[in-house]
Amino acid sequence: MIEVRGLTKAFGETSVLRGIDLTLEKGSVLVVIGPSGSGKSTLLRCLNVLEVPTSGTVAIGKARLEFRPDAKPRLADVLALRRQSGMVFQAYHLFPHFTALQNVMEGQLTVRRTPKREARAKAMQLLAKVGLADRADAYPHQLSGGQQQRVGIARAMSIDPELLLFDEPTSALDPELVREVLKVIRELAEEGRTMMIVTHEMKFAREVADRVMLLDGGAVVEEGPPEQLFERPREARTRQFLSLIMERSF
Amino acid sequence: MSDQSERLLHIFTDSFLPLLRAGIAFTVPLTLISFALGLALALLTALARLSEFRPLAWVAGFYVWIIRGTPLLLQLFIIFYGLPSLGILIDAFPAAVIGFTLSVGAYGSEIIRAAIVSIPKGQWEAAYALGETRLQALRRIILPQAARVSVPPLSNSFISLVKDTSLAATVTVTELFQKGQQITAAVYEPLLVYSEVGLIYLIFCTVLAALQRQLERYFDRYSSV
Ligand SMILES: Nc1ncnc2c1ncn2[C@@H]1O[C@H](COP(=O)(O)OP(=O)(O)O)[C@@H](O)[C@H]1O
Ligand SMILES: [Mg+2]
Repeated sequence: MIEVRGLTKAFGETSVLRGIDLTLEKGSVLVVIGPSGSGKSTLLRCLNVLEVPTSGTVAIGKARLEFRPDAKPRLADVLALRRQSGMVFQAYHLFPHFTALQNVMEGQLTVRRTPKREARAKAMQLLAKVGLADRADAYPHQLSGGQQQRVGIARAMSIDPELLLFDEPTSALDPELVREVLKVIRELAEEGRTMMIVTHEMKFAREVADRVMLLDGGAVVEEGPPEQLFERPREARTRQFLSLIMERSF
Repeated sequence: MSDQSERLLHIFTDSFLPLLRAGIAFTVPLTLISFALGLALALLTALARLSEFRPLAWVAGFYVWIIRGTPLLLQLFIIFYGLPSLGILIDAFPAAVIGFTLSVGAYGSEIIRAAIVSIPKGQWEAAYALGETRLQALRRIILPQAARVSVPPLSNSFISLVKDTSLAATVTVTELFQKGQQITAAVYEPLLVYSEVGLIYLIFCTVLAALQRQLERYFDRYSSV
């Protein structure tokens, strides 16, 4: 289970997250939507501690960490919390000097200290899952964007995280490559992976989400099951955002 | 053939082996040892300058400032002729190694630091996201990519060093250039002998440039953005 209480993040004077609360059951999918600059990426990065939250509590799986504005968290605690989640980046950030296989082995070797043979077997299995078993020995620059992102997903799963975080996983992709990535994510949802996904693909969001959350100005505007949020939004702000998004995609 | 050209030919052929021997016995080891030690020093210095621990960054910056701001020739003189006044006596060869190592360490650290900084932030983040520590990210992800970026400028430093080792002549190391001076003093044919010395430097540098291309090809097995 994932539990976030009173999460805030400020960059200097600028408040970017203003007290986020959320609970996510194991095996469920939370889709986060919201206008650009609303703090979606920052929220995901705070859960992965790529940004250190200013205050609040984050609990993922067995790790729980309370952040305070006046104290730097201990590195060991940060690492323990961070290892509970896997991150899929908008721009993939694959390691260019490693093959696809090596990208998926890396975390197993250095962080989990899995023996090489075992790490390789598991990496091959994960690459097969994302449909790239035949490209295991390719370097990232030899892969299409969609393939790179699928390697990114396999890499994020390689450390057996409790939670998978996706930050606009298809936004950098050419339209014809979006589908193959969404298909992989959909399969993971069906398998019962716990995931938090930031996306602008509303049709996909509706299919895959158990809960949808609209973020605006660093605060949660509305949160609920997709049918409610998309068809009977309670907040005027939600309706406004949805009509803007629909306009853009038609 | 005239007597004169025959004499010159003799001088050329008689000097070639002694010059080559001086190059192989002194110039080459001086270059290799100084460069290897200098690279290690350069890496440590670059990391120190990027360290979040301020005093360390400051000490490293001070060292680079001194070495880059004074002539190499002067540094060699201070090590070999100056330090004995403090009771520190160092033989000519090790004194030269120290001087060149410090030089490669300072200039190389700037190259390596720039290469590390040039690696996109996303690479650090992807490594951190897997749970790697700063040291693991550096060793596994950042430095291998930085190494590739550093190969061309570091190869330049290496080839410059081959030629800079001629400065060791001034602290009595009988390397290639010093040997050329000795032969010139005996036969008094400066144009011929020094050209021959140049030829041997050219041979060394050409071989090194070929090695550099091999190294670059190795790193080009992947091409980054
Ligand atoms: N490192 C940073 N320093 C300062 N401001 C930042 C930083 N990262 C994000 N921000 C600001 O925080 C706000 C939210 O950013 P972000 O989380 O990226 O929004 P989103 O992903 O919803 O588009 C933006 O106004 C952005 O400018
Ligand atoms: Mg974003």
